[in-house]
This record gives sequence, structure tokens and C-alpha cells, in this order.
Amino acid sequence: MTNAVVDVHHLEKTYGKAGERPYTALKDLNFSVAEGEFVGIMGASGSGKTTLLNMLSTLDTPTKGDVIVNGHDVTKMRSNQLSDFRAQEVGFIFQDFNLLESLTAEENIGLPLALQGTASKVMDQAIHAVAETLSITDLLKKYPAQLSGGQKQRVAAARAIVHQPSILMGDEPTGALDSTSARELLDLLTTINRDQHMSVLLVTHDPFSASFCQRILFIKDGQIGSELNRGDLDRKDFYQQVLTELGTFSE
Amino acid sequence: MLTKLALAGVKNRRRDYLVLLAGLTMSAAIFYMFANLATNQAFIKANAVIKSASVVFGFGAVLLALITIVYIMYANSFLLSMRQHDYGLFMMLGAKRRRVGQLVFLETLILGTIATVIGIVLGIVVSKFLVGFLLDQLGLHLSHLASFYLPAILFTAVLYIGLFILASLFNLTRLMRTTVQQLLHADQQANQPKSRPLRQFIGGLVGIGLLAVGYWAMAAIEHLQMTAIPLALVTITLGTYLLFHAAVLAVIRGLRHTKWAKKHLNGFLMGQLNFRVHDYTRMLTIVSLLFAMALGAITVGSGYHRQMPMTADSLGAYTVAVHDANAHQKHLINQLHVAHQATYTQKVQGKTTYYNAAELKTQPFQQIKSLQSSPNGKPQFYTESLAKFKKDGVTQLDFIMLNPNKLGDFAAPKIVSAAAFKQLKGTTYRVTTVRVKHMADDMAVLKQLDRSEQHRFPQASTQLTIGTYQSFEMMNGIFGGLEFIGYFLGIAFLAMLASCLMFKILSGAPGDLRRYTMLNKIGVRRGLMRASLAKEIGILFAIPGIMGVIDVLFGLQMFKPLMAKPMSPYLGIGTTFAIFIGLYVIYYVITLGLYLNLVMPREVVRD
Repeated sequence: MTNAVVDVHHLEKTYGKAGERPYTALKDLNFSVAEGEFVGIMGASGSGKTTLLNMLSTLDTPTKGDVIVNGHDVTKMRSNQLSDFRAQEVGFIFQDFNLLESLTAEENIGLPLALQGTASKVMDQAIHAVAETLSITDLLKKYPAQLSGGQKQRVAAARAIVHQPSILMGDEPTGALDSTSARELLDLLTTINRDQHMSVLLVTHDPFSASFCQRILFIKDGQIGSELNRGDLDRKDFYQQVLTELGTFSE
Repeated sequence: MLTKLALAGVKNRRRDYLVLLAGLTMSAAIFYMFANLATNQAFIKANAVIKSASVVFGFGAVLLALITIVYIMYANSFLLSMRQHDYGLFMMLGAKRRRVGQLVFLETLILGTIATVIGIVLGIVVSKFLVGFLLDQLGLHLSHLASFYLPAILFTAVLYIGLFILASLFNLTRLMRTTVQQLLHADQQANQPKSRPLRQFIGGLVGIGLLAVGYWAMAAIEHLQMTAIPLALVTITLGTYLLFHAAVLAVIRGLRHTKWAKKHLNGFLMGQLNFRVHDYTRMLTIVSLLFAMALGAITVGSGYHRQMPMTADSLGAYTVAVHDANAHQKHLINQLHVAHQATYTQKVQGKTTYYNAAELKTQPFQQIKSLQSSPNGKPQFYTESLAKFKKDGVTQLDFIMLNPNKLGDFAAPKIVSAAAFKQLKGTTYRVTTVRVKHMADDMAVLKQLDRSEQHRFPQASTQLTIGTYQSFEMMNGIFGGLEFIGYFLGIAFLAMLASCLMFKILSGAPGDLRRYTMLNKIGVRRGLMRASLAKEIGILFAIPGIMGVIDVLFGLQMFKPLMAKPMSPYLGIGTTFAIFIGLYVIYYVITLGLYLNLVMPREVVRD
């Protein structure tokens, strides 16, 4: 595979202080995400998928192994480098939106650019461009409290991609949405992935969300149990395939 | 089981509770100190200096009580907002509303009782230490100041615990009216301040107008007399509130649309302030008033004390008077920078002192003109013809007091002709009066001279000697007392202000914790977050600080009539301001440290 955006080698994470019984959340994990790929990570609660995402996004440090994102070895970075890395290379969408309620939608979206000291004209252009893509132009002046869940998540998505990160990470982004909003958001992610060639990594336990991916990694007890490729399959057929896989996987 | 749960909840949040407890304890401790000084009868009776000031203490105590009510209301709402999620959870788990209600009531009351008890103990300890220290510094001796005073303890306890019972009831009713859902999600609600530009603009103008009236009232205190103070208090409070409400929000709104606001976290900072200031206007107003009162009290108190020597030279005709100076005293007198010196022979029969007219003719007794008639505020001296002096001068206290009984028992002095004086029987004294050029230059020698004279005439009642040096020492005591009161009020207000501000700011911590965790996730550098927090809290400290300084600068006008010409309430305020602002900055740093500790995300998130 060429041009991997994410490359994970022998990743291991063990929790527990010295003297306590250690708990291994991830053991010897290996995988990579190619540029422009739409990858899903599935697993039951406690399988280690959130731990994995935290390692990839540098919110947590691995016990062993390497995580290379867009050519940067994130395990070797120090605190400010880590912050800058998150600000520049990664776009985040969370289940609970994580919008700042003291800022308008526009200001929320502009935050990653403001952090990089982008000129305000450039910033305005970027915000409006991304708002156009996500059709939230008319929501820009509103505060998060005035938005619905689906609208909030679209604003969060706009904030995640406004600075052109090398990878977009979603942690159960549809978890708090109704089915219509969820479908809209997943369609948007697909569009972003296709049109802007942005790599997307989606962590979810919802087979419907996962069916939008091109490739799905199933995690069980801290290891990759199996992998599913969509290939040229229709999304609906792929959905069936995911359901079948889940059925046999959890046995 | 429920009690166990509640205790566990408190234990998990012990850091928050500690801050809460610290603020309440501080408030109770200061209140106790205040109540002790204001009501301790033995102390007030034993010190004439304090007697006149007990009104000030009474006023201070009332003010403190009012502010304490506001303070406890803040404390209370903070407590409830901290715990309401837990309460909601208990109810969701099936706890009866009544049971949870009892829990809330008990929890508030227990916290209040702990705070009050620790506060009173702290108050006793601190008042002992603080009062001793200040008295030492001011060279003052005030007797009968017991740090332990039962009525004050009862007063403090009744007031605080009473207030907490009220607060608990308030909590209870509020809880009973809220649904479980609201309780569970209360911390996720955010209310956006509504913007009504025209109304705010008018409000701002009215505010400035009210402030102007308040400042004018303080300057015109000679006309308005006692009405000036309540008038100023009301207008300045309202004016400050309206001005803050309008101006701060307008400034933030203006700044939000600039390029500056789009750099780094500035936009976030503005957003935060927009939320905060709206919510905090009332608190900021109170804090700015407290700031002004604290700074004002310290400035005026220390101003009086510091400027005392300036008036020392115009207190009377002579600095010291020595009877039958011995060799040591003559030696001391020679060391003084003498402006005028005279020696008179006295003969004492019973209570009457006789003077030789011939001596007074060759060496007329110098008198001082009243300060009002002197053009440059410097004292002026004059003499009179003997005939005139016999009629008028002999009645002057400066002259009467030259009798060897000093301030003891005496009758009006008599001036007789040289021949008659020679014939008189009785004890003969020679009194030497000395006036120095500037008392400030000769303090040490004057003190020795005064002591030796006291030592030589112990029969002279109440250990007082005569002359302006003695007057100076007495006034020093009085003004030292004023300075003491000034510092005391200042410290009390500062501490109240401190806890008010810290409290309100810290009550925003749970919300901020969430916000800063988000910022951390999207990759904001820790340094940038820290700087943003420092700015945000700094601005919240600066707004009332600036307003308070302005209030004081105008407010000092009130003391112009009291501090006549050579003195001025504005003289040397720089140092006082610098010290006070220094304290304020230290307080800011402490608050910021606490806040950073509460809000900054851990270096690495574990889940």
C-alpha cells in the first residue's frame, strides 16, 4: 500500500499503576490507512476502539509501538508538538459535538484557523467555503444552543475540516443523532472523502454507520479480529455483509 | 445508603468543597474580628481613641452583614449547581424527593456550620495576631483587647448559621420545583445574553450620569453634610452597575468583529467574557465598591498618620517646656535646632503661679496665630505688649500650662511687678520654653527631653508634660488609631472582595473544565490555553479594580475638609495604592493558580 496516512506498528497499551493488576487494552495492533481511504473501526464496548482512537489522535500515549500519521511519528512528540499536530493534521468529530457554547457557529468553525494565526480574510473565505459544502451558511451567526443536534454536528464537521487536515477522525459521530440527521452526516462524510480526497477514520459500533466505509476493521479484546472490504459492493449489500460479519465475529 | 452516597459525592469533589469552605471560613473569620472590635465593650471603654470610631465599626459591621448575605447566596447557588447532577441521579435511582430534600438541607447546613466554626476559631487567632502586629507597627497602646469575646462569637454564629438555614430552605424549594431531567442536564444549558443595543446605550448614559452625581456628592460633602454618604453610595452603586452592563458588553461586541478577535484564542476569550460579564455584572459592581472602600479606608487612615508631622509645628507656641533644667536637659536642649527660646522665673504659692512683669517685658511670651489666618499654611508667631498680654495672653492655655504642676491642679497665673515679685514667698522655679524649627528634625532628642521631664515630675498628673511635642504624641495616638481602623477595614473589605471574586470565578470552573478539554482535543497548545485563562480572569479582576481606583480618587474629596491645608488626602497616595494593588495582584495570582488547577486538562487523557 502506498502513501499511508496512518501507519500503526505493534501498538500496545497497558493500563494500571505499578503494583496493580495491569489491564492490556490493546495488544500488538498493526494496520494502516491509505490516503483518501474511508476506514471504519468496529467493536463492542470495551474492545479498545476508543483507546485506539486516543492513541491515533495523540490524546493518549501508547505503552509500546509506533503510530505514524502523515509521516509524523506521534509517539516521539512532546506536548506543544502534540497540540500543534492535533491542530494541523487531525480533524475531529465527537459524539457530543464538543462545540464551544460561548462562540457562534462561525467562530467555532474558525477556531482551528485562528489557532494557526490565519489572516482574517483567508479565514472568512475558508469558513464560507466549508459552510457552503455542508449547507450551513444560514446557521453561521447562531450559537450552538440555538441549533438542533444534526445542525450542531454539521457545524462540528465544518470545524473538523476547515483547516484541511490530513485525516478526519470521528468518534461515534452519529451516536447522538436521529436517523435522518445521521444519514445526512454520513452522506456528507462520504462526499468530503470523495471530493476532497480526505482520509476518514470512523470509530463506531453502529453497523449502519460502518456500511458507509470502504474498509472495516473489527477489534476484539484489543486485537484486530477480522477485516472487511467493500470493493464494488452497493452500500446496502455491504450493510448486510457487515451485519453477517458482526453475527459471526461476536460468537 | 443515600447518606453514604452523598458523603461519597462530597469526597469526590473535596477540592471544590475546600475552595468553597475557604471562602466561607474567611468571611466568617473577618466578620468575627469585626464584631469583636465593634462590640467589645471593655475594649471600647478603655480606649478613648476607639470610642469615637465605634460608629465606623458599627457601619462597617452592617455593611459586612449585608455583603455577607449576598455572599452566602452566591455560595449557596454554587453549592447547588455543583451537586444538582448528583441529586438528579439519586432521584432517578428512585430516591424520594423528600429524602433528597433532607439531604440537601443537611448538607448545606453542615457545610455552613463547619465554615462558621472554623471561621470563628480562625477569627480569634487572626485577630490576636493581626491586631497585635498592627498596634506594634503604629506604636499604639490599646488596652483590653481580648481576642476571645463571647458575645461576638454568639453574634457571628447566630448570623451565619441563621443565614445558612435560610439558604438551605432556599435550596430545598428550588430543588422541589425542578424536574429530574432538568437536574440531570442543568450544567448543559447555556443562556445566551440578549443584546438590546439602544437600551444598553441609554443605560450606560444613565450610569455615567449617576456616577457623576455620586462623585459630585462626595466632593460637596461640606454642603450636603451627612446626606452625601448615602447619596453617593446609592448613585455610585447603580451607576457602576449600569455602566458595566452597557460598556463592557459593548466593548466586547466591538472587539469581536475585529481582526484581532480572529487570532489564536482571542475570539474564544471574547466569547467567554461575553458570557461571564453579563452574568457577573452584579458581582463586579459589588467587588468594585469593596475595592474602593478597602483602598479608600487604607489610604485615608495611613494618610492621616503619615501627614501628622506636617501639622506638628503649628500645634502651639513652644515644643517643650522644662522646669529648672538640669545639666543633662541643658545638654539635650543644646542639641535641638532652636527657633525660639525663653526662660521665665516662677514663684508658686498654693495653686497660683506668679510671674515677674519685668521679665515678660524684656522677653515677651510668644503666641501662635491660628492657622486659618496664615496665608501659606505655615505657623506664625507674634508677641503682645505687656498691658495687652496681661488682659488677653494670660488666658491662653499655652501660657497657663507653664505652671510647675504641669497639667495637675492649678489656678490662673498672675503677673506682678518686679518689686512685688521679689517680695513674694513660695517655691521658685525657672521654666525654659523651647520651640524648634521643625519637630520632625528633632524627634529623638525631644523624646529624651520629654521622658526626663516626666521622670523628674512624676507628681504631674497622668504622666503628661506640656508643649507641642506632647500634643503631637497624643494626636499620633489618635491618628494611629485611625490608621489602624483604616487598615482593618481595608483588609476586611479586601478579603471579602477576594472571596466574592474567587467564588464567582471558581463557580464557572465546571463549565470551563469542559470547554478547555474540548480545546485540548482540537489541539490548542497548553501555553495558549493558560494565557487565555490568565487574560480572562485578569480582565475580571481588572474591571472592578480600575473602577475602584477611580471611585477612590473621587472619593478622597470627602476628606478634604477633615485634612486641612498642609495636609491633603491625595498626598503620598502612590505608595498606598502600589501596596494595595500589589496585594490585589497576589490575590489574582492565587485565584489563577487555583483555577488552572481546576480547569486545565491533564497532560495525557486516560479513560
